[in-house]
Amino acid sequence: MRIPRVHSLFVFVLVSAAFGQNSGSIRKLETAGDIAGARATLARAAEERPNDTAALAAYAAFLERYGDPASRQMDNRLLSLLRQRNDLAGAASVARRLAALDLEAGDQAAASRDLEAYRAITGSNLKLGSPASETRPTIAIPGPLRSFARMAAMPPETSPGEVLSALARNVVTNGYQASHSNDELEQTEYLKLVHRYISQARELQELAGDKKVIEVPNCESPKGADLLRILGFRMRGGCGSDVILETVNATRAFITTDSGFPVNELEQAMRTNRPFSYDFHPTLVPVLFGPEYWLGPQEKGKAMPDFLETFLGDPAICRLYLGFSKLDSETADALRKASTFSRLRAYSHVLDFFGGMFEVRQGKAVVPGGQTSKGAWADLVGVSPDQGGAFFDKLLPKDDGWLASLYDALARINGPVRDYLTDPARMKRFYSAIRGRITSPGPARPVFRSNTDMMLLTTRLRLDPNGKPHIPGGIEVWKTLFSNSPQAKTDLKLQKLAISWKEPDDVIEALFALCRKAAENEPLKVFMALSDLDRNRAQPLDAATVTRLVRAYRTYGSQYAIFSESRDLSNQSIGQYLDTAEAISRLRDVEFRSDTAGVFDSLVGLWQILVRQQSMPAAKADPVFSTLIASFAQVRNDRELFDAGRSGLKLLVSAVPKGQSAAKENDPQEQLVDLLAGAASSEDTEARDQVEQEILRILEAQRIISLDTLFQLADQLDGVARGEKPNNALIARLTGRISEIQLPRQALSSAEKTSVAFGYWVDKHIEDQRRLNLRAVVEKAGNDAEKLKDVRGLLAPLLRDTLVAYNYAYYAPPGSQVLYTNSVFVRSHDFIGAQGGNHLWRSTEVLGSGWPSSAGGRLVGSLSTLPYALAEAEQNFLIPAQTQALIWTDLVPQMILSAKIPRWWNVTPSQVHWVGLHIRYGRELLAESAFDAGLRTPVLADLSELASPARTREVQHLLEQGDVKEAIDRVTPAELFLLGRKMASTQEAQSAGSASPLAAEIRQLAEEFPKQINYEVISRTFGTPKPTLANSYEPELMNLRTFPTLMGYSSRIMAESWESNTLYWAALADELAIRPAELNVRIPEWTGQLVEHIFASHLEDWPAVLKSLRLVGEDARAKSRAAVATDQKAAL
Amino acid sequence: MIVSRRGFFGWAAGSALPLTFSNTLRAQEDGRRPVFKVKVDMVVLSFTVTDSRNHYINGLKPVDFRIYEDGILQKLNTFAEGAKAPVEVAEDGKTRPLLETEEAPTGPLALDRPDAFTGTNVFILFDTSNFMYRGFVYAEDAIADFVRGLDRADSVAMYTFSRNLSRGALLTRDHNDAINGLRRSVAGDDTALYNALLLTLRDAAKVPGRKVVIVFSNGPDNASMVAPDDVRAVAEDEGIAIYTISTNEVNKDAISSSALRRIAQRTGGKAYWARTWQKQVEAFESIREDLGNSYTITYYPAPNPNEGFRKIAVEIVSDPGKKLRVHTRPGYRPTRTL
Repeated sequence: MRIPRVHSLFVFVLVSAAFGQNSGSIRKLETAGDIAGARATLARAAEERPNDTAALAAYAAFLERYGDPASRQMDNRLLSLLRQRNDLAGAASVARRLAALDLEAGDQAAASRDLEAYRAITGSNLKLGSPASETRPTIAIPGPLRSFARMAAMPPETSPGEVLSALARNVVTNGYQASHSNDELEQTEYLKLVHRYISQARELQELAGDKKVIEVPNCESPKGADLLRILGFRMRGGCGSDVILETVNATRAFITTDSGFPVNELEQAMRTNRPFSYDFHPTLVPVLFGPEYWLGPQEKGKAMPDFLETFLGDPAICRLYLGFSKLDSETADALRKASTFSRLRAYSHVLDFFGGMFEVRQGKAVVPGGQTSKGAWADLVGVSPDQGGAFFDKLLPKDDGWLASLYDALARINGPVRDYLTDPARMKRFYSAIRGRITSPGPARPVFRSNTDMMLLTTRLRLDPNGKPHIPGGIEVWKTLFSNSPQAKTDLKLQKLAISWKEPDDVIEALFALCRKAAENEPLKVFMALSDLDRNRAQPLDAATVTRLVRAYRTYGSQYAIFSESRDLSNQSIGQYLDTAEAISRLRDVEFRSDTAGVFDSLVGLWQILVRQQSMPAAKADPVFSTLIASFAQVRNDRELFDAGRSGLKLLVSAVPKGQSAAKENDPQEQLVDLLAGAASSEDTEARDQVEQEILRILEAQRIISLDTLFQLADQLDGVARGEKPNNALIARLTGRISEIQLPRQALSSAEKTSVAFGYWVDKHIEDQRRLNLRAVVEKAGNDAEKLKDVRGLLAPLLRDTLVAYNYAYYAPPGSQVLYTNSVFVRSHDFIGAQGGNHLWRSTEVLGSGWPSSAGGRLVGSLSTLPYALAEAEQNFLIPAQTQALIWTDLVPQMILSAKIPRWWNVTPSQVHWVGLHIRYGRELLAESAFDAGLRTPVLADLSELASPARTREVQHLLEQGDVKEAIDRVTPAELFLLGRKMASTQEAQSAGSASPLAAEIRQLAEEFPKQINYEVISRTFGTPKPTLANSYEPELMNLRTFPTLMGYSSRIMAESWESNTLYWAALADELAIRPAELNVRIPEWTGQLVEHIFASHLEDWPAVLKSLRLVGEDARAKSRAAVATDQKAAL
Repeated sequence: MIVSRRGFFGWAAGSALPLTFSNTLRAQEDGRRPVFKVKVDMVVLSFTVTDSRNHYINGLKPVDFRIYEDGILQKLNTFAEGAKAPVEVAEDGKTRPLLETEEAPTGPLALDRPDAFTGTNVFILFDTSNFMYRGFVYAEDAIADFVRGLDRADSVAMYTFSRNLSRGALLTRDHNDAINGLRRSVAGDDTALYNALLLTLRDAAKVPGRKVVIVFSNGPDNASMVAPDDVRAVAEDEGIAIYTISTNEVNKDAISSSALRRIAQRTGGKAYWARTWQKQVEAFESIREDLGNSYTITYYPAPNPNEGFRKIAVEIVSDPGKKLRVHTRPGYRPTRTL
């Protein structure tokens, strides 16, 4: 039964009645970001008027709003006071409030007490559940868990309950490889080492005896000799201070050290002749369904085979175990009972890849589309969803897994698109397209799931207001593409059908059909890219532009994210961009083409930054873009290139309203640094200076010629060419500055040089600059006007490097070891690519790493994905906090990018607070759900929109047992935010009687600042860029389920769907009263720490990211508390 | 190596006037723009002296040396031989002890400690990548033996690397801690030798006193983003000698071998190729001898307009016939700071 919540009403009445005068001033302080001032005012009032319930209530509510742990203490004081005054309604409200806060803090005893107080006053039946005492069958793994975890490549904090699923995953992904000699699989080195470890651990277990402790009384003990033999070591030198343990059996010794056996402690004990003792108790780990299920039926009288050996020896069993471990217990049991072990084992790969969304409730399968689609699922599978276990048993093998893959893709989405796709007739039609006539090979192939395209299509499909799918440019464009384009000839059937297409469904059906192709699915990629473009535009692209973009996709597709930067970019400007790009591609002189592309790309990159940062007014974005690119369409020589670059830069800077830069108008260098560093109007000069200095340091490290020098020299040369008297001193000074840069010479010998055919044009670009003696050239030109103009052309390659450097410096990850160490890293950007390849308009790629003979790694291609490439180049300079951890390739660059692209100069304290309130409200909802069963149902329903059925069920169990802290630990910040969002806006939450003060504050802020505080603005401010998933660098919150690892993208899309970091950082900043502008410095730093603390055991291990996120947050809290304590001490 | 003088004067008071100088690279036009300056506080220079048979020459005094930077004679500030405590060098060449006790220092390292320049800070960088898998444990034994044999005054840091760096044991004078860190290492995947070396140099640069990095690897880097010569330049500028022990065959990968050799030579270290455990032990023994038989001097550079590479020359006054050989780094580049 739902008990009306009265607490918030009480708080508001109290606060508004007695604290009315002050609440306005407190609000003002909060809005201005003076959280410390507001806190101090409220704390003072509570201290000075200890018997004033309004003062205490106001302070307690404030502390709760900012997630301060001291709020519990204040609530306790308030509760005592209210009880003393016999204010039962008030006391009940505070008691309930406290119970929720106690649960969030993990204090179940206090929560029970407070809930008891609440019940005593209100007579309600709200109560906490108690922990379930579930005992599962176990097996014993010899030795300590940490040693086994090290050898089996699991995080050290793996719990016994997680061991077998983690081991199963590692065996599936790393345990076996194709044999060189036959078709059989053979064990990898990884698995061999695990086997060797188990064998050695069993020997040690025997040595440890019944006490399960390895004890060596002294150096001379025979037990010591036995131990050393097992460990693969021997003593060198006699017992005493000279003894040294050294390897005698390399295989055993390797296992010993790799598993973390304390050899050094043993050596020290032997040196000092002290006893050595090492706990060697076996680890009991639970087994799903018990070991017997996995060992199969045994012949009578025969000994039971060893579970571990059987498990490790059969990758299909491991895969089945892994698949089952992704299901909740109800679903897993239903499936197990409905099928046989051998049948499930045969389709374990399908269960592993596509079973994660299977859900059986009360014996029935919960299918995508619900009741409406139930019949269609029954028809497709052949069994009704009402027979839950049997339904999934039949679904798994159906069509080699294709139907299961569709089920999985549809189960992951929500809302109107799912309704559209699960319409019975449509679903059957689309499935028929995916299935095709020949179903083999299925989509569940090893390592990564290969139904990537279908997942992207179902997730990213857009519906128009008429409920039909959005088709960029209209159906005709796609008819033409499929019927005429040579690219579509791979599927003749589609080509024929395309002629008769009339409805958007026809196009979507064709895209579904292409999803099963193993080949590069270009039409789908084009469709998604153009859908995304339209999504980000005020007006959809016209058919002609779409047609052109479709045709040009193969060459220029990686540039399309540029067009998403501004909602108002015209069709004409997009066409103009393609014209210019084509013109640049046609330039014959490779060096000139490279320089032109470099200057052009850099200026477009700067335009993107200024538009995205909102430094440039939205209305100017299109005209500036159009003018900027137009000047490059006709460049024929270096002089014109230099002029186009200079005028383009001037155009960009002049498009930014005055006041954005404090620099002088005639100082382009400083103006640009100012603009890139962020809003000059920001009051947080410290953060801004830090960002500005970082940019300057990188320019200095890269020995970049300043724009002032280049432009002043160009002006001088122009003046002389026009017949003006030369300022020789100035020319000498400027040319001298250019000579000063002293680019390092290559230390390679000729033999080494000739062995490296990589980067010819870049090396030439750098070598030309090394050799450039501008002073001599100017002197030689004398007063010859034409020659002096040519000298200006010599500045074009230098201008290219300077402009490219600004882009690099803006996106440089924290630390930037490469940029600080390799002083020609910017100059070595290779726009053309290696001989034979044309990288001019391709994504930015990292090439040349791990070649000792090269000048280090360099970036190749256009600047279109520069932020990712820079982060990729830098990722391995981060140092994992734990010995065995490695930096998570693919995920880490995206996380760095998400911390660098969004900027928070114009964010208000109220916006940050709003995010914090949502996350705290989400936590509160979970806490209240622990004792309020009526609330639990809608909360879990909302959670299930992002969390898998198994995780939702896990959270449910934990809430039912009153373990809120554990439950919250399993929910991501993005999910908490969404919970807060959904529940705060429900009618139920808005009714005054049951509203939470946090929800009330969320609504109040939105009403107070409607332009700044709404979900669209917050999405843009605290969202993440999704260049792969959404073809855009514009930060946004898409509220997606975290993606799995996908074939062709590895963890990159998973990282893009991970939206928790920035939301978490914002809530943390709110809690610690950090100024919003400071986020520009803190978030990149925190992200670096986050990445270093991740200890993931597999490529979908986002809980490891969550764990690390919270670890960094705790560290920041501890440091903040320490700083506050120091300040308070100093003030005394 | 360039060290901030903060705290150094606490114990070296009166030894020299601050000689830090700035050379504005860009005109400061409006007082707002940050200015990059060339900053050189103190140079620490280590070298060995050998005769024609490659025997170390010990017992030389400060007056036996003349140090030149770009041909400009430098005034010595301190002088030390091997792991002995450093002495302050007066204007007239006379010396006096900087430390009141000869005992090996203990406790955490800090620049403001009088013992900051005693002993050598040894950073060991151990390759745990798959390449090293076979000889992993023997290599551990050889490294552990080396650490055990270091002078008590020496500090050791134990780093391991594969694709990423791992700080197994931070710089410590407790050699057992370092061996513990070594024994905790685990085998990894790719080999990003030069990335790891760069990060180690960055750590070493923060520590006062004499520093060396010992790289134990087999050379074939397959994952670094930075080039060997860029890393070498950092070591050169910071005055950190790099010793390399490669378990590879010298001729197997000529380019990698050449890169290792160049790094060692240009930083004042040495390169060894040691396929067998015995050779590895010998290489470590040779390094230990080098450390024990080297001289370390410090000086504040005399004014020098050169903002680029400054060549260092060590002249032995007592060797007019130039029969002795000095093994040191060729020079350094002053740092540019904001």
